[in-house]
Amino acid sequence: MKQIALYGKGGIGKSTTAANLSAALACRGLDVMQIGCDPKRDSTRMLMQGRLIPTVMDLVRERGDSDIAREDIVYEGFMGVRCVEAGGPEPGVGCAGRGIIATFQILERLGALHADVVVYDVLGDVVCGGFAMPMREGYAEEVYLVTSGELMSLYAANNICKAIARLSSRSRSTCRLAGVICNAKNLPREEELVAEFAERIGSFLVLYIPRDQVVQQAELNKKTVVEFAPSSNQAAVYRELASRVMENRRMDIPVPLGIEELESLAYEYSP
Amino acid sequence: MNTPRDSGCTLTGALSVTTEIEGSVTIIHGPAGCAHHNFSLFHALCAGRDDPRLPRVLSTDLAETDIIFGGEDALDAAIRRAAAKNPSLICVLSTCVTGAIGDDVDAICRGYHGIPVISIPTAGFLGGGFHQGHIQALMSLSSLAKDDEKIPSVNLVGEKTLENERDEHFNEVRRLLAAAGIPICTRFVCRTTVGGISRLSRGSCNILRDPSMEEVGRFLEERFGTPFISSFPIGSRGTIRFLEEVGRLFFLDVSGAIADEEARQDRIFREFRSLAGKRITFCDPFGNRTDSEVCREIASAAGLIVHPEGYPVPVPEPFPVGTGGIRRLLYQWRRACRA
Repeated sequence: MKQIALYGKGGIGKSTTAANLSAALACRGLDVMQIGCDPKRDSTRMLMQGRLIPTVMDLVRERGDSDIAREDIVYEGFMGVRCVEAGGPEPGVGCAGRGIIATFQILERLGALHADVVVYDVLGDVVCGGFAMPMREGYAEEVYLVTSGELMSLYAANNICKAIARLSSRSRSTCRLAGVICNAKNLPREEELVAEFAERIGSFLVLYIPRDQVVQQAELNKKTVVEFAPSSNQAAVYRELASRVMENRRMDIPVPLGIEELESLAYEYSP
Repeated sequence: MNTPRDSGCTLTGALSVTTEIEGSVTIIHGPAGCAHHNFSLFHALCAGRDDPRLPRVLSTDLAETDIIFGGEDALDAAIRRAAAKNPSLICVLSTCVTGAIGDDVDAICRGYHGIPVISIPTAGFLGGGFHQGHIQALMSLSSLAKDDEKIPSVNLVGEKTLENERDEHFNEVRRLLAAAGIPICTRFVCRTTVGGISRLSRGSCNILRDPSMEEVGRFLEERFGTPFISSFPIGSRGTIRFLEEVGRLFFLDVSGAIADEEARQDRIFREFRSLAGKRITFCDPFGNRTDSEVCREIASAAGLIVHPEGYPVPVPEPFPVGTGGIRRLLYQWRRACRA
């Protein structure tokens, strides 16, 4: 079983990338499971034809955690991709990180974590220990950073490297940085910048995903690009991402950059 | 080494105050264990004093789901449950986990009318220990005090309610104040009512239990304009100075009370004259005690000689208060000297 986690700044296109990656993997005949680890709960929506599936935390809130069955939380979407949303508390109260931990415990108890590939889609930043849960022993071994060439996005990716470096230094930890995915904002020299950033942190650029109108069109039609426009160039890019992820053997312990180095790097590539 | 007073849990320190308020209920907002430990401790202390009452403590009994979704609803329900018992006051103490997840305990407590509900922040992981909890509870409870005209009287601030000899200490201070002709307004807080706390600002002077309560003393001085005396008296000269200070603050002639007190002290030292010439050394388990001066003063007045090879004598913690305390101390020392 291959377990991968996508991390990156909020709004950078992690969920779009994750859902299209899952869809493309499923199209290769793989058994895929996608787990949205974000209280916003919209990771799997495009795989579910726009449906917001009940979250694990919704069910815990309604009926407690002992009365939950696998079919209450696992929903089959496009091409049989099995979708789970962790969910969480209302914004502004409680502890969302603890909600992620509880979700993982419930998935374990129900024996729900099995597939050829499990894709964890984790919220913007590793704000507390709970959101590092997918990187812990027994879960994702390969972490992909999703970033654009914008400084704030690189800054968040660099921060996430700190969490990966910390966790991967533990004995028995098998979590590593597998690579950097550039989800482009169409900035000049963006691919070069992100590739250089990836090198500097001790990793590599897996794939440059260009910005394309078809992503928005697919979303308005509540589908992934892979499903909505399978013959489009963008769908081909996501299929290429799926094959690179399956073939990728890079497993690096990243070295996060200092803030000055990061800023001067971004400056070098500014127009 | 820290003394138990500096370490321990903030929650326990605050409970040592709130459980002393008659007719009040204390809600511990956290997992059941936080309440259980403390309930057991206070129950055992009450039983040890032949006090049959159970501490009136409720727990919001938080579980993992309350932590994920926030514990505010559970607190709301607990306050309603407590209010149904019609207590004089509800105190709400926070714990580590509710502090960490950011439950807005103050806001919940402000939403009630009728029975006063006081929020006391006591998340232990923020540091400060037992003593900080004691101080925090007093400062939070002072919001119950009305702004009243002062009447010539004193408040006793920060009595250590878990001390075995708290009643002896209180009785001694009360005796000294009565000798000077000054009534006690409020014990803030020890065996106190909510009415007593609401009259806190009438006291024209606050007498702190000891200098560790100065933070509260300054707070109340700023809030109500009440001056304070830093400590209950200890030692023979300290007790006389205490009477002088009280006399000065209340513009009273206390010379008669002082003469009586000196005579009382002389009688005590005569009572222990068998100690004269004995060699003693002070046993101080916590080290660096500030009251070693007082020990030397008492030893000298009793004719004892402080010498490294002398009989080891205890320096009790807390140090016995007032002239009555000198007798109790010398009694212990006489036993240690086998005199």
